[in-house]
Amino acid sequence: MRIAVVGCGQIADAHIQEARKIEGVEVAAVCDSNIHMAEQAARRFAVPASYTDLARMLSEQRPDIVHITTPPATHLAIAKLAIAQGAHVYVEKPLTLDVLEADELLEFAARQGKLVCVGHNYAFDAPARRVRELLRSGRLGEAVHVDAMMGYDLTGAFGGVIMGDAHHWVHALPGGLPQNNISHPLSLVVPFLGDAAPTVTAVGRRLRQARFGDRRDAWFDEIRVLLHAGSVSAGVTFSCRMRPIQMALAVYGTRQHVFANFESRTLRTVAAADAPGPFRRLQLARRDAVESRREFRGRFWDFLHSRLQYFEGMTELLRQFYSATRGAGPEPIPMSQARLVSWLIDEIFGQCKAAEDKT
Amino acid sequence: MILVTGGNGFLGQWVVRKLLERTQASIRCLVRPSPAPPAVSGVVAQWPGRKIELHPASLPAPAAALAAALDGVRVVVHIAAGKQGSAPALVANTVVGSEALFQAAVRARVERFVLVGSLGVHDTASLPRGAMVDEDTPLDPHPEWRDPYTFSKHRQETLAREYALNHGLPLVVVRPGVIIGPSAEILVTRVGLRMFGMLLHLGGANRLPFTYVSNCADALVDAATRTSLGSDTFNVVDDDLPTSRQIVRAYRSKVRRVRSIFLPRMALGPVARMNAWANRRTQGQIPIVFSEYDARTIWKNLSFSNERAKSLLGWIPAVPMRAALEATFQSHASD
Repeated sequence: MRIAVVGCGQIADAHIQEARKIEGVEVAAVCDSNIHMAEQAARRFAVPASYTDLARMLSEQRPDIVHITTPPATHLAIAKLAIAQGAHVYVEKPLTLDVLEADELLEFAARQGKLVCVGHNYAFDAPARRVRELLRSGRLGEAVHVDAMMGYDLTGAFGGVIMGDAHHWVHALPGGLPQNNISHPLSLVVPFLGDAAPTVTAVGRRLRQARFGDRRDAWFDEIRVLLHAGSVSAGVTFSCRMRPIQMALAVYGTRQHVFANFESRTLRTVAAADAPGPFRRLQLARRDAVESRREFRGRFWDFLHSRLQYFEGMTELLRQFYSATRGAGPEPIPMSQARLVSWLIDEIFGQCKAAEDKT
Repeated sequence: MILVTGGNGFLGQWVVRKLLERTQASIRCLVRPSPAPPAVSGVVAQWPGRKIELHPASLPAPAAALAAALDGVRVVVHIAAGKQGSAPALVANTVVGSEALFQAAVRARVERFVLVGSLGVHDTASLPRGAMVDEDTPLDPHPEWRDPYTFSKHRQETLAREYALNHGLPLVVVRPGVIIGPSAEILVTRVGLRMFGMLLHLGGANRLPFTYVSNCADALVDAATRTSLGSDTFNVVDDDLPTSRQIVRAYRSKVRRVRSIFLPRMALGPVARMNAWANRRTQGQIPIVFSEYDARTIWKNLSFSNERAKSLLGWIPAVPMRAALEATFQSHASD
């Protein structure tokens, strides 16, 4: 299977490395509108061909799958071009600039008989998969409420680059940096919401100190979202203040609850205690201790088997998507979910902006 | 008029200070837009009679913004570059950003373009142990095997040379070694790697190509102002270079205790190969700490010549190494 990567910024490194971990995959070409960016990726990863002309790359290389890691404003046009040339597309999050573009892309792909996968890779990290498995097994009962929390470090590997560049495309998104990232926690809660369109309440706050006097000071850095869909509710928090930064998921069910920590890749479940009085506390604490020991052994085993990879979720998502393109499995992210996340992002930042305009 | 990019940075502030001290040139600093007063303002304030323009722009800037920044400029001292981050981020910052400046400088017909390169770009892998590195040592044919910073500086210098060759950019390249000074990191990669709260000491008896920040700034001012200087390249390291072992000992006695494990030279290759094996075996779960290529390029008892800078630029490292180290350690001790 030949893949090509369009857009040679930071995240393209991960796409090339993770795709190569899958058997039978060849990274045939990279493409970037800037020749230096295309060349650096090709040279560092020994990719045989690099291009600055997308149409030429598609016609010469005929990739089976095109990974699109360019700014979101370009996703729709590039994806349609790649699909028209016969490729399936894997698109970095956010899928498109807004839900209208998402609809256009998904309809176009459906007409051409091609698959689109959006890079909601956290939803394929082991903790998220294990939580969904717990729900499927019936151990949690029915989901009552789901919480997803994402911390973001503005001085981190990605944050530092973005905050150091006033012209970075992230600042041009209507919701700025959170719009580029909130799809991750949203993608964790959406699978629990069922098919009904949720109601959305969103609040954005700007708690960091204005330092630049330009677009970098403009966007909200703390977002709180409450979703209701049928009998399930979900909370989503995006925060640039919390330290250490975390990605976490909690599911409160009708039988048990589960807390997943994506950093330690551990789960903690909570079930009803049956001991009397204060012994109940001891019983619960003992269960926590036992589960912690079990989780540590599990992670140590994962370490021995090289499963504690940073982009493990991306590899799993790619594996499932590549299989789906060969007709060997279902689409890992149903189109309805990809669209719902797009719609939620529009709704969230629309509400945040409207609230600010009012004040 | 002299344009300094990166004038807000560690080296840039010293270059502006030296330009003010040693020349009467008008100075313009390209500084990143910020509502906070630029750091270089503190330097400027010490010369109340001199006028310095602060021109807000980030590289890569639009052509019109760079044309305005270069209006009336005869000499450019290009210091701005990414220091940390991934290779794509550094290439975007250092290479893509510089190309816009190279183009603007060609259009503005500047008389001299001084590029601050890096001593790390040389092909030291093919040199024998104990060899001398000078300006005639070729560039590394495999920059992609080096760290992201060296890779980006290599690509930047290569691109600058293409602009010199094909578009007449009047290029002078100054390649500083490791710049030390108050607050600058001194236990650098050439000394060793910090991990698990310890220092994996790799440098041993290797001499460290240090240059004190004010000495380096002097060399850049010399390169910017020396008359009858053609397109040339200068490696800048100070005299009396210390060994890595001396630096670790001095750090312990003057700054703070640091636990270290020394890896002898003979072990570097086998450890690097084991590291590479573990990295492959675990599909990247175990990161590459240092590569075999690093071992072949960095830690091989090289010596570093500064003769060309001394003879053609008339540069003298005014601050002796002993005083330079003292000032650097003192700032670390008071942190």
